[in-house]
Amino acid sequence: MLYYIGAISLILIGMYAVLTKKNLLKIVVGLSIVDSGVNLLFISVGYVKDATAPIFSMPSLTADKMVDPVPQALVLTAIVIGLATTAVALGLVIRLYDHHKTLNINKIRQLKW
Amino acid sequence: MEFSPVLYIAIPLFAAFLIPLLGKVSKTLVKLTPGIVFLYLSYGSILLFPKAMEKPIVQVVAGFKPPFGISLYYGATAAFLITMVTIVGFVIWLYSYKFIIREPIEKYYMLFMMLITGSTGILLTGDMFNMFVFLEITSIAAYSLTAFLRDKDGAEAAFKYLLIGSFSSTFYLLSVMIIYSYTGTLNFADIAGKIDLIPPMAKGFVLVLVLVGMGIEAEMFPLNGWAPDAYSQAPSPVGAVFGGIVVKAGLYAMIRIVFLFFKTPEVMQFLIFMGILTLLIAEMAAMRQHQIKRMLAFSSIGQMGLVIIALGIGTMGSTSAALFQMFNHALIKSLLFFAAGYLVFHSGSKQIEDLEGLGYDKPVTSFFFAVGALAIIGLPPFSGFWSKLLILVSVAKAGDIAILLLILTGSVIEAIYYLRAVVKLYTRKEVPDNVRRTPISGLVAMGILAAIILYVGLYPGVIEKWLAPAANNLLNAADYIKAGLF
Amino acid sequence: MRKAIAILLLAIVGYYFINVFIHMPFGEKREGVGKYYLENTVKETGAANVVTAIVVSYRGFDTLGEVTVLFLAATGLGAILFGKRGEKRRLQGASVIVKTTSMMLYPMVVLLGAYVFVHGHLTPGGGFQGGAIIATGVLLMFMSYRHFNVSHNALTWIESLAGLTFATVGLIGLALGTTFLQNFLPLGTPNDLVSAGIIPIIYIAVGFKVGAELTGVLDNMLKTIR
Repeated sequence: MLYYIGAISLILIGMYAVLTKKNLLKIVVGLSIVDSGVNLLFISVGYVKDATAPIFSMPSLTADKMVDPVPQALVLTAIVIGLATTAVALGLVIRLYDHHKTLNINKIRQLKW
Repeated sequence: MEFSPVLYIAIPLFAAFLIPLLGKVSKTLVKLTPGIVFLYLSYGSILLFPKAMEKPIVQVVAGFKPPFGISLYYGATAAFLITMVTIVGFVIWLYSYKFIIREPIEKYYMLFMMLITGSTGILLTGDMFNMFVFLEITSIAAYSLTAFLRDKDGAEAAFKYLLIGSFSSTFYLLSVMIIYSYTGTLNFADIAGKIDLIPPMAKGFVLVLVLVGMGIEAEMFPLNGWAPDAYSQAPSPVGAVFGGIVVKAGLYAMIRIVFLFFKTPEVMQFLIFMGILTLLIAEMAAMRQHQIKRMLAFSSIGQMGLVIIALGIGTMGSTSAALFQMFNHALIKSLLFFAAGYLVFHSGSKQIEDLEGLGYDKPVTSFFFAVGALAIIGLPPFSGFWSKLLILVSVAKAGDIAILLLILTGSVIEAIYYLRAVVKLYTRKEVPDNVRRTPISGLVAMGILAAIILYVGLYPGVIEKWLAPAANNLLNAADYIKAGLF
Repeated sequence: MRKAIAILLLAIVGYYFINVFIHMPFGEKREGVGKYYLENTVKETGAANVVTAIVVSYRGFDTLGEVTVLFLAATGLGAILFGKRGEKRRLQGASVIVKTTSMMLYPMVVLLGAYVFVHGHLTPGGGFQGGAIIATGVLLMFMSYRHFNVSHNALTWIESLAGLTFATVGLIGLALGTTFLQNFLPLGTPNDLVSAGIIPIIYIAVGFKVGAELTGVLDNMLKTIR
């Protein structure tokens, strides 16, 4: 249960950063924190008490003593997607910095928000 | 090898992987590839479309039965929308052929192909997490294309879109997580059968998460702040891709999930309410725009509001009208973006004010813009007339006069600002001689769209007969579950 | 003011979150597809690592999408930062100790990455993890040597060929069997290096692709620093 609360707090902290920070890089960091929070939450959903990793490397391991493998597989995908988003976001930040010579969001805003 | 629905995803993807290698050989090859892909996909549509209208084709990927493997569900609705995507995609490619002259051209076509992959994936997939993956493919391609011109505002619009878009995907992923933790499955049909395992509180939360997550892609109020900037800063063909393809895919995803899992009267009421808000606020905002592409973007949001209202009413008639409207909007809005793209290019300014007199200087492009404007307002003999009429009839049948009046108000506002732009276009004014011409490929693309719009307007039967099975497929959750789990 | 609104908003969101998750079962066994995978993976796919079997085989289509997303990120970044290549980097060269150590570590890191993705169906890890490790090795070199360069041409070829391998393996499945990405090779004995049909082939392709793409992303970003 503590795992849920920890992961949810991470999500909220990340969202707080995105909503209030003025620095573009900090906003991107906030997005990554949200991603990590979601991934941790998903992994804890798959947790089973006293169970082990879902790999049949020894004959003594049985299926009923393993954690749910599906969330792990999905989180692997989600991590990669989060990384891709972050990469594109950083590329855009580089572009914006080039045009405006600043990372402060108040000074960049030209379009209406 | 028989044509299988999975090719709608695999072929554009294959092309995207192939383009950088082709680019080493010749640029012309790169430019031609997407056209070949779309022609092949249209050929597939001709083969599969009639079959899907009778019975949904469920295609298993990797040879495991659903719910254990991922399955693709090519039903009547998906078939209808995918055919639309192939037509619009082909025309957009034709238009891009001469329009995108800025390097890196191969990257443009790679991103374009992946955007198509993502959208067809959203339309086809029968798996909730797989939909998330395709949603992300679509979004990341869209962010990059928004910033393709590499100017100041493009980067800013793309960053804004990215911020909102990542919230959207986070919310959607959370909803997948909650659903999985209670039902232990990810297949849409399987979840729909087990949806009562989720306690009411969590179910409500999931509904909110899905509506927010997908509502961003479907431009539902108040989550559409990204749209006007992205539409107006991206290159014109990309604006057409957003309005014609991406938004349609997002809306389909939202409606499919809502109709499968949460189809209660309250939710439908809420959809109608959001639709009305979206329609009215967007139309009023469009009225106030001075830039032509921003005006088109807001009008696009308004049209989505109209579709959401019709879907929210949820009768057979209104759902088929909504699908018809989606089809029409995809074609007409693409035509408008194409024409606007060259008008902006010729006049050298994005402002509506500066369009004055172009109607005489550039008669063909302006004519196409006028056709699009009249069609989207819903005047006969264009196709927009029939879909709007059908929506109004179905609303009247449902007996809600207030909604009818609100839709009419929205339409009147829409008519005013479109006519204003057209009148501006045909106001006589000396225009400095302009040697730049609209290239043939652009004119052909616009001509094809205008011809389809006129043809469907004169003979609405060609589309209408496919609407009933498509709407039935969308409305009937029990059939979906039966077909999806075989 | 802005902060207060943000905190209020997040408090509401957080309240609903906690309310939903507090009732969610924690650490209990779940019926559903996860159970099926645990019981049938070895029999059906021949892979010892259930997560790998899900990622590459049962939900292989997701992985194709995932590879696409990475490819997309590299392409998109290339499009966004186009025209800025080849500008001077301001990175300082590192000290002799760092340089020597990185030179010694670099091959080992790459080897470890290759090990991880080759054994993806047997041990924890796989194409994505292995590819990420390789990219870390390249990053190490980027940071210690000012003039360390990767050939952009080679990266494009690796990326495209690996992607095409993945798609081709999928299409062969469609042509020989009935469905896209269907296994068409013998399963072999579980826990052997050569086993589990097409899973190792796909994961090796993924490993190359991820390694090349992440390297491309790093290269793209470093080249733009002025």
